[in-house]
Amino acid sequence: MPTLEIEGKSLEDAINLACEEYHLPREMLEIEILSKGSSGIFGIVGARKAKIRVAPKQLPLTAAADRGKAILTEILTFVELPTVVEAESRDDHVFLNIISNGSGLLIGKRGKTLNALQYLVSKILHRELDAPISVVVDTEDYRTKRETSLTELAHQLSTKVKRSNRPLTTGPMNSQDRRIIHLALKEDQEVRTKSKGEGNLRRVVIYPAKRGKKSPESAAEAASDS
Amino acid sequence: MLKELVEFMARALVDSPELVKVSEIEGEQTSVLELRVAKEDLGKVIGKQGRTAHAMRTILSAASTKIRKRAVLEIIE
Repeated sequence: MPTLEIEGKSLEDAINLACEEYHLPREMLEIEILSKGSSGIFGIVGARKAKIRVAPKQLPLTAAADRGKAILTEILTFVELPTVVEAESRDDHVFLNIISNGSGLLIGKRGKTLNALQYLVSKILHRELDAPISVVVDTEDYRTKRETSLTELAHQLSTKVKRSNRPLTTGPMNSQDRRIIHLALKEDQEVRTKSKGEGNLRRVVIYPAKRGKKSPESAAEAASDS
Repeated sequence: MLKELVEFMARALVDSPELVKVSEIEGEQTSVLELRVAKEDLGKVIGKQGRTAHAMRTILSAASTKIRKRAVLEIIE
Protein backbone atom coordinates (compact mmCIF):
# COMPACT_ATOMS: atom_id res chain seq x y z
CA MET A 1 0.00 0.00 0.00
CA PRO A 2 1.16 3.48 -0.83
CA THR A 3 2.53 6.12 1.50
CA LEU A 4 0.21 9.07 1.90
CA GLU A 5 0.64 12.62 3.07
CA ILE A 6 -2.30 13.77 5.09
CA GLU A 7 -3.21 17.19 6.43
CA GLY A 8 -5.48 17.96 9.32
CA LYS A 9 -6.44 20.80 11.60
CA SER A 10 -4.36 19.28 14.35
CA LEU A 11 -1.97 16.39 14.64
CA GLU A 12 -4.69 14.30 16.24
CA ASP A 13 -7.06 15.16 13.44
CA ALA A 14 -4.57 14.19 10.74
CA ILE A 15 -3.87 10.84 12.41
CA ASN A 16 -7.56 10.09 12.67
CA LEU A 17 -7.99 10.86 8.99
CA ALA A 18 -5.12 8.52 8.20
CA CYS A 19 -6.70 5.70 10.21
CA GLU A 20 -9.93 6.14 8.32
CA GLU A 21 -8.15 6.21 4.99
CA TYR A 22 -6.43 2.86 5.60
CA HIS A 23 -9.17 1.30 7.72
CA LEU A 24 -6.49 0.54 10.29
CA PRO A 25 -6.06 1.43 13.95
CA ARG A 26 -3.38 3.92 14.90
CA GLU A 27 -0.92 1.29 16.16
CA MET A 28 -0.82 -0.25 12.70
CA LEU A 29 0.41 2.89 11.01
CA GLU A 30 3.90 4.21 10.52
CA ILE A 31 3.53 7.94 11.14
CA GLU A 32 6.10 10.57 10.34
CA ILE A 33 5.32 14.12 11.42
CA LEU A 34 6.10 16.66 8.73
CA SER A 35 4.55 19.67 10.41
CA LYS A 36 2.97 19.86 13.81
CA GLY A 37 0.64 22.63 12.88
CA SER A 38 -0.36 25.47 15.15
CA SER A 39 -3.59 27.17 15.80
CA GLY A 40 -1.94 30.59 15.53
CA ILE A 41 -2.98 33.54 17.61
CA PHE A 42 -6.61 33.18 18.66
CA GLY A 43 -6.88 30.51 16.03
CA ILE A 44 -6.85 33.06 13.22
CA VAL A 45 -3.47 34.54 12.50
CA GLY A 46 -0.75 32.16 11.42
CA ALA A 47 -2.78 28.98 11.69
CA ARG A 48 -0.91 26.12 10.10
CA LYS A 49 -2.25 22.74 9.27
CA ALA A 50 -0.63 19.65 10.71
CA LYS A 51 0.89 17.38 8.11
CA ILE A 52 1.96 13.78 8.45
CA ARG A 53 3.33 11.10 6.20
CA VAL A 54 1.71 7.74 6.77
CA ALA A 55 2.30 4.18 5.64
CA PRO A 56 0.77 1.02 7.00
CA LYS A 57 3.09 -0.87 9.32
CA GLN A 58 1.93 -4.42 8.94
CA LEU A 59 2.14 -6.53 5.83
CA PRO A 60 -0.59 -5.44 3.44
CA LEU A 61 -1.76 -9.01 3.10
CA THR A 62 -2.44 -9.39 6.81
CA ALA A 63 -4.34 -6.13 6.79
CA ALA A 64 -6.23 -7.24 3.70
CA ALA A 65 -7.11 -10.54 5.36
CA ASP A 66 -8.57 -8.75 8.36
CA ARG A 67 -10.50 -6.31 6.23
CA GLY A 68 -11.72 -9.05 3.89
CA LYS A 69 -12.95 -11.01 6.88
CA ALA A 70 -14.84 -7.97 8.13
CA ILE A 71 -16.48 -7.36 4.75
CA LEU A 72 -17.50 -10.97 4.27
CA THR A 73 -18.81 -11.23 7.83
CA GLU A 74 -20.91 -8.14 7.28
CA ILE A 75 -22.44 -9.45 4.04
CA LEU A 76 -23.21 -12.76 5.73
CA THR A 77 -25.02 -11.12 8.66
CA PHE A 78 -27.79 -10.32 6.19
CA VAL A 79 -28.17 -13.94 5.21
CA GLU A 80 -30.02 -15.55 8.06
CA LEU A 81 -27.54 -18.28 8.63
CA PRO A 82 -25.19 -18.68 11.58
CA THR A 83 -21.71 -18.25 10.13
CA VAL A 84 -18.18 -17.63 11.30
CA VAL A 85 -15.45 -16.43 8.96
CA GLU A 86 -11.82 -17.41 9.37
CA ALA A 87 -9.15 -15.36 7.63
CA GLU A 88 -5.66 -16.37 6.70
CA SER A 89 -3.07 -14.67 4.55
CA ARG A 90 -1.33 -17.16 2.33
CA ASP A 91 1.73 -16.55 0.12
CA ASP A 92 0.02 -14.53 -2.57
CA HIS A 93 -3.61 -14.38 -1.60
CA VAL A 94 -6.09 -13.92 1.18
CA PHE A 95 -7.99 -17.03 2.15
CA LEU A 96 -11.39 -16.65 3.78
CA ASN A 97 -13.16 -19.71 5.06
CA ILE A 98 -16.83 -19.65 6.01
CA ILE A 99 -17.87 -22.05 8.73
CA SER A 100 -21.57 -22.71 8.53
CA ASN A 101 -24.13 -25.44 9.02
CA GLY A 102 -23.18 -27.18 5.79
CA SER A 103 -26.40 -26.70 3.89
CA GLY A 104 -24.64 -25.76 0.70
CA LEU A 105 -26.69 -22.58 0.47
CA LEU A 106 -23.55 -20.50 0.34
CA ILE A 107 -22.04 -22.65 -2.39
CA GLY A 108 -24.91 -22.62 -4.85
CA LYS A 109 -25.08 -24.52 -8.11
CA ARG A 110 -21.51 -25.25 -9.19
CA GLY A 111 -20.19 -22.76 -6.68
CA LYS A 112 -22.21 -19.89 -8.11
CA THR A 113 -22.94 -18.22 -4.77
CA LEU A 114 -19.47 -18.83 -3.44
CA ASN A 115 -17.94 -17.27 -6.54
CA ALA A 116 -20.28 -14.29 -6.30
CA LEU A 117 -19.21 -13.72 -2.69
CA GLN A 118 -15.57 -14.07 -3.66
CA TYR A 119 -15.92 -11.64 -6.54
CA LEU A 120 -17.72 -9.03 -4.49
CA VAL A 121 -15.38 -9.22 -1.50
CA SER A 122 -12.30 -8.89 -3.69
CA LYS A 123 -13.87 -6.03 -5.61
CA ILE A 124 -14.65 -4.12 -2.41
CA LEU A 125 -11.19 -4.88 -1.06
CA HIS A 126 -9.48 -3.57 -4.21
CA ARG A 127 -11.42 -0.38 -3.92
CA GLU A 128 -10.65 0.18 -0.27
CA LEU A 129 -7.02 -0.79 -0.23
CA ASP A 130 -6.19 0.32 -3.74
CA ALA A 131 -4.14 -2.79 -4.34
CA PRO A 132 -4.93 -5.87 -6.42
CA ILE A 133 -5.06 -8.58 -3.79
CA SER A 134 -6.51 -11.90 -4.76
CA VAL A 135 -9.12 -13.31 -2.46
CA VAL A 136 -10.30 -16.89 -2.20
CA VAL A 137 -13.56 -17.57 -0.40
CA ASP A 138 -14.21 -21.15 0.61
CA THR A 139 -16.64 -23.14 2.68
CA GLU A 140 -16.90 -26.82 3.57
CA ASP A 141 -13.71 -27.50 1.64
CA TYR A 142 -15.53 -26.82 -1.63
CA ARG A 143 -12.50 -25.47 -3.54
CA THR A 144 -10.40 -28.57 -2.86
CA LYS A 145 -13.25 -30.90 -3.78
CA ARG A 146 -13.88 -28.96 -6.98
CA GLU A 147 -10.21 -29.13 -7.90
CA THR A 148 -10.14 -32.87 -7.36
CA SER A 149 -13.21 -33.48 -9.50
CA LEU A 150 -12.02 -31.16 -12.27
CA THR A 151 -8.61 -32.83 -12.34
CA GLU A 152 -10.38 -36.16 -12.64
CA LEU A 153 -12.53 -34.81 -15.47
CA ALA A 154 -9.41 -33.53 -17.24
CA HIS A 155 -7.78 -36.95 -17.10
CA GLN A 156 -10.91 -38.70 -18.34
CA LEU A 157 -11.22 -36.31 -21.28
CA SER A 158 -7.54 -36.63 -22.17
CA THR A 159 -7.83 -40.43 -22.23
CA LYS A 160 -10.73 -40.09 -24.69
CA VAL A 161 -8.80 -37.62 -26.83
CA LYS A 162 -5.80 -39.93 -27.02
CA ARG A 163 -7.98 -42.91 -27.95
CA SER A 164 -9.99 -41.13 -30.65
CA ASN A 165 -7.28 -38.73 -31.75
CA ARG A 166 -9.90 -35.98 -31.97
CA PRO A 167 -10.18 -32.80 -29.91
CA LEU A 168 -12.77 -32.58 -27.11
CA THR A 169 -14.27 -29.55 -25.42
CA THR A 170 -15.30 -29.07 -21.81
CA GLY A 171 -18.44 -27.21 -20.80
CA PRO A 172 -18.31 -23.46 -20.20
CA MET A 173 -16.07 -22.66 -17.24
CA ASN A 174 -14.78 -19.69 -15.35
CA SER A 175 -11.10 -18.81 -15.35
CA GLN A 176 -10.27 -20.64 -12.12
CA ASP A 177 -11.81 -23.85 -13.35
CA ARG A 178 -10.12 -23.58 -16.73
CA ARG A 179 -6.82 -23.04 -15.01
CA ILE A 180 -7.26 -26.27 -13.06
CA ILE A 181 -7.86 -28.17 -16.33
CA HIS A 182 -4.81 -26.62 -18.02
CA LEU A 183 -2.62 -27.41 -15.04
CA ALA A 184 -3.91 -30.98 -14.76
CA LEU A 185 -2.84 -31.70 -18.34
CA LYS A 186 0.29 -29.58 -18.42
CA GLU A 187 2.61 -32.53 -17.90
CA ASP A 188 0.80 -34.74 -20.38
CA GLN A 189 2.92 -34.82 -23.55
CA GLU A 190 0.22 -36.40 -25.72
CA VAL A 191 -2.38 -33.66 -25.47
CA ARG A 192 -2.38 -29.89 -25.46
CA THR A 193 -5.02 -27.56 -24.09
CA LYS A 194 -6.35 -24.21 -25.22
CA SER A 195 -9.14 -21.90 -24.07
CA LYS A 196 -11.73 -20.91 -26.62
CA GLY A 197 -14.82 -18.74 -26.74
CA GLU A 198 -15.85 -15.44 -25.25
CA GLY A 199 -16.81 -14.31 -21.76
CA ASN A 200 -19.05 -16.70 -19.87
CA LEU A 201 -18.95 -19.23 -22.67
CA ARG A 202 -15.20 -19.73 -22.62
CA ARG A 203 -14.26 -23.40 -22.52
CA VAL A 204 -11.18 -25.56 -22.70
CA VAL A 205 -10.43 -27.57 -25.81
CA ILE A 206 -8.17 -30.58 -25.42
CA TYR A 207 -6.30 -31.45 -28.63
CA PRO A 208 -4.22 -34.50 -29.38
CA ALA A 209 -0.62 -33.26 -29.63
CA LYS A 210 1.02 -33.49 -33.03
CA ARG A 211 3.46 -36.32 -33.08
CA GLY A 212 6.99 -35.50 -32.08
CA LYS A 213 6.38 -32.09 -30.63
CA LYS A 214 4.69 -30.66 -27.62
CA SER A 215 3.74 -27.05 -27.89
CA PRO A 216 4.55 -24.84 -24.92
CA GLU A 217 1.13 -23.23 -25.31
CA SER A 218 -0.57 -25.07 -22.47
CA ALA A 219 1.68 -23.58 -19.84
CA ALA A 220 1.05 -20.11 -21.18
CA GLU A 221 -2.70 -20.76 -21.23
CA ALA A 222 -2.68 -21.76 -17.59
CA ALA A 223 -0.91 -18.55 -16.73
CA SER A 224 -3.40 -16.42 -18.66
CA ASP A 225 -6.36 -18.22 -17.07
CA SER A 226 -5.21 -17.56 -13.54
CA MET B 1 -32.88 -7.74 5.81
CA LEU B 2 -32.72 -8.01 2.02
CA LYS B 3 -32.90 -4.27 1.70
CA GLU B 4 -30.00 -3.81 4.13
CA LEU B 5 -28.00 -6.41 2.25
CA VAL B 6 -28.35 -4.56 -1.05
CA GLU B 7 -27.61 -1.27 0.67
CA PHE B 8 -24.44 -2.59 2.24
CA MET B 9 -23.13 -4.15 -0.97
CA ALA B 10 -23.91 -1.07 -3.06
CA ARG B 11 -22.44 1.38 -0.53
CA ALA B 12 -19.20 -0.56 -0.43
CA LEU B 13 -18.86 -0.33 -4.21
CA VAL B 14 -19.61 3.29 -5.02
CA ASP B 15 -17.89 6.65 -4.63
CA SER B 16 -20.94 8.37 -3.16
CA PRO B 17 -22.40 5.96 -0.60
CA GLU B 18 -24.70 8.67 0.75
CA LEU B 19 -26.57 8.66 -2.55
CA VAL B 20 -27.37 4.96 -2.45
CA LYS B 21 -31.10 4.42 -2.03
CA VAL B 22 -32.90 1.11 -1.93
CA SER B 23 -36.65 0.74 -1.85
CA GLU B 24 -38.34 -2.56 -1.29
CA ILE B 25 -41.67 -3.40 -2.87
CA GLU B 26 -42.91 -6.45 -1.04
CA GLY B 27 -45.19 -8.90 -2.71
CA GLU B 28 -46.62 -12.12 -1.34
CA GLN B 29 -43.73 -14.20 -2.53
CA THR B 30 -41.56 -11.87 -4.48
CA SER B 31 -39.87 -8.73 -3.31
CA VAL B 32 -38.61 -6.21 -5.80
CA LEU B 33 -35.63 -4.20 -4.62
CA GLU B 34 -35.00 -1.01 -6.48
CA LEU B 35 -31.48 0.30 -6.25
CA ARG B 36 -30.69 3.89 -7.04
CA VAL B 37 -27.18 5.29 -7.08
CA ALA B 38 -25.47 8.47 -8.27
CA LYS B 39 -25.25 8.65 -12.03
CA GLU B 40 -21.46 8.41 -11.92
CA ASP B 41 -21.66 5.26 -9.82
CA LEU B 42 -24.03 3.39 -12.08
CA GLY B 43 -21.18 1.62 -13.83
CA LYS B 44 -19.67 0.56 -10.52
CA VAL B 45 -22.76 -1.33 -9.36
CA ILE B 46 -23.26 -2.89 -12.77
CA GLY B 47 -19.65 -3.78 -13.50
CA LYS B 48 -17.95 -5.06 -16.61
CA GLN B 49 -20.45 -7.12 -18.62
CA GLY B 50 -22.86 -6.75 -15.68
CA ARG B 51 -20.63 -8.92 -13.54
CA THR B 52 -21.03 -6.96 -10.33
CA ALA B 53 -24.81 -6.73 -10.73
CA HIS B 54 -24.86 -10.45 -11.41
CA ALA B 55 -22.86 -11.20 -8.27
CA MET B 56 -25.16 -9.02 -6.16
CA ARG B 57 -28.22 -10.77 -7.58
CA THR B 58 -26.72 -14.19 -6.86
CA ILE B 59 -26.00 -13.29 -3.24
CA LEU B 60 -29.44 -11.73 -2.94
CA SER B 61 -31.14 -14.87 -4.14
CA ALA B 62 -29.15 -17.00 -1.70
CA ALA B 63 -30.25 -14.71 1.13
CA SER B 64 -33.87 -14.77 0.02
CA THR B 65 -33.94 -18.54 -0.42
CA LYS B 66 -33.12 -18.81 3.26
CA ILE B 67 -36.28 -16.90 4.19
CA ARG B 68 -38.31 -18.74 1.54
CA LYS B 69 -38.88 -15.78 -0.70
CA ARG B 70 -37.85 -14.55 -4.08
CA ALA B 71 -36.12 -11.27 -4.63
CA VAL B 72 -35.48 -9.30 -7.79
CA LEU B 73 -32.86 -6.61 -7.93
CA GLU B 74 -33.59 -3.74 -10.27
CA ILE B 75 -31.01 -1.09 -10.86
CA ILE B 76 -32.84 2.14 -11.64
CA GLU B 77 -31.18 4.68 -13.86
